[in-house]
Amino acid sequence: MTRAAIVSAGWYGFKPEVGDLSFREMMFEAALRAYAKVGVDPRKDVDAFISCQEDYWEGIAITDEFAPEPVGGVLRPTLTVTGDLIQCLGQAVMLVRTGYFDLVSIEAHAKPSDILTLKGVMDMALDPIYLRPLSPPNPHFLAGIMASSFLARTGLGREALALVVSKNKNAGLDNPRASHASPVTVGDVISADTVVDPLTRYDIAPFSDAAIVMLVGGEEAARKVTDTPVWIEGIGWATESGTGSLAYHSWDSMPSMKMAVEMAKGMAGLSGRPQSFASFAEVEDRYSFMELLALEEAGVADPIEGFRMLEAGDFDPNGFFPVNPSGGSLAAGVSFEVTGGFRVLEAYERLLALGGDLEPGLERALVVSWRGPPTRTSMSVILGV
Amino acid sequence: MAGQWGKNPWGVYKFPGKMEVEKYVYTPGLHGLEMAKALKEGRIVGTKCGETVYVPPTTLCPDFGEGKVVEVSGPWYVDAYTVIRESLEGEKLEEPVVIALLVPEDAEGGLIHYVKAEPEEVFIGMMVEPVFRPAEERKGTITDIMYFRPVPEGA
Repeated sequence: MTRAAIVSAGWYGFKPEVGDLSFREMMFEAALRAYAKVGVDPRKDVDAFISCQEDYWEGIAITDEFAPEPVGGVLRPTLTVTGDLIQCLGQAVMLVRTGYFDLVSIEAHAKPSDILTLKGVMDMALDPIYLRPLSPPNPHFLAGIMASSFLARTGLGREALALVVSKNKNAGLDNPRASHASPVTVGDVISADTVVDPLTRYDIAPFSDAAIVMLVGGEEAARKVTDTPVWIEGIGWATESGTGSLAYHSWDSMPSMKMAVEMAKGMAGLSGRPQSFASFAEVEDRYSFMELLALEEAGVADPIEGFRMLEAGDFDPNGFFPVNPSGGSLAAGVSFEVTGGFRVLEAYERLLALGGDLEPGLERALVVSWRGPPTRTSMSVILGV
Repeated sequence: MAGQWGKNPWGVYKFPGKMEVEKYVYTPGLHGLEMAKALKEGRIVGTKCGETVYVPPTTLCPDFGEGKVVEVSGPWYVDAYTVIRESLEGEKLEEPVVIALLVPEDAEGGLIHYVKAEPEEVFIGMMVEPVFRPAEERKGTITDIMYFRPVPEGA
């Protein structure tokens, strides 16, 4: 069975508001860049197109119908997935591994700045019988409950979360996609008022408009179009249960995340802690506490150990095992279904940039992401060069 | 919905639209209907599957068997909670709001609902009880429970 690789990637936006382009034009701009880098004509060379999107984020019902044109997929095999770009990546890997598809284009986009009633949209994802009628005044309340539970279980305090915020907001200062980066200190975070306990506005990633298109190819096709394929060694995703049964969830952990990472490791034939096979990780951090939780579920470090490593600078961009050297979502924002794909894009570009500087045996990156509240869907990717 | 071109406060052109998603009705299902009836009577029910009771009630048990609707007596405790202090738009709320996952001691699952208490008084494991609206105001919905409140000491 052929291996699958990311052969090219294009992006557009990653700004709090992209005022000049519609979401379809953002898709086109990202696609144009992805195809131009490797000289691919989507009308002839791409065998299938997959778009990851969700109607409510678009404000358009059956928005699938808008997917083909901006990525060059009119009258070509096109499918949509209601999920994160990593879930599209999983579909692309499966198509490529059938042997019937040489090149597959995947896409996700987000324009949160177009949504005037974001709370109303987010409320629509809550159980309509038992939860939505309460209309909690801030949809981040679910993250507040999770964060409080996580801190209660681990015994960690807000300082641990502030360290994550400061690390990521500062790391993003070098990243052109990190529009929300800033030289935030631990003290800034600790002294800020909470929005939903125990999270301040610094602990909650803001939103960004963004689009990403990636080309995924089988081994032969990948080597035809690029000298620098980045192999998708492992990929996994899992969903615990829907929002109709939120009350059954484990609030201080995320079993779907652990399962997704194990699935990716199994596919890659890897075992042990990620730092034993990867050089860095891009992990879930749309809420600060999630970085420590993601590191725990991925097997990098339990929360106390993770806190100590964080304090010691081990997860800094130049540390022993950099975690979110891109700045993560705290610096680049949350772009709905683009968000996990953003982590993959960052890992892809960093692996290519490091190239020969990667330590032998560690020529990989780990990606761990969540689809965000109120979902309990998680994803993981292991990329290698 | 038709609309007029306009600029947002930052000078970016936008075309207004509206998704009329508020005009839905939801079928509660067989066990949801039992819960609605119970709420109207000032009670809370769950589904008994084997020896375990699940709240809110569900038509399907985890083993795909059919359960039996039973009353949940409690007492309830705070399993997890947060305090909401600002709206999504960043405006301070007039009063902070405590919202929690509340679990009955004799059941699994639970309800997410408000807790009427000073934020600093709330803790995980705190015993609480539901406070229902007056009977004539109940509609058979989750808001028939106004909030949960701490169980008075010695109760």
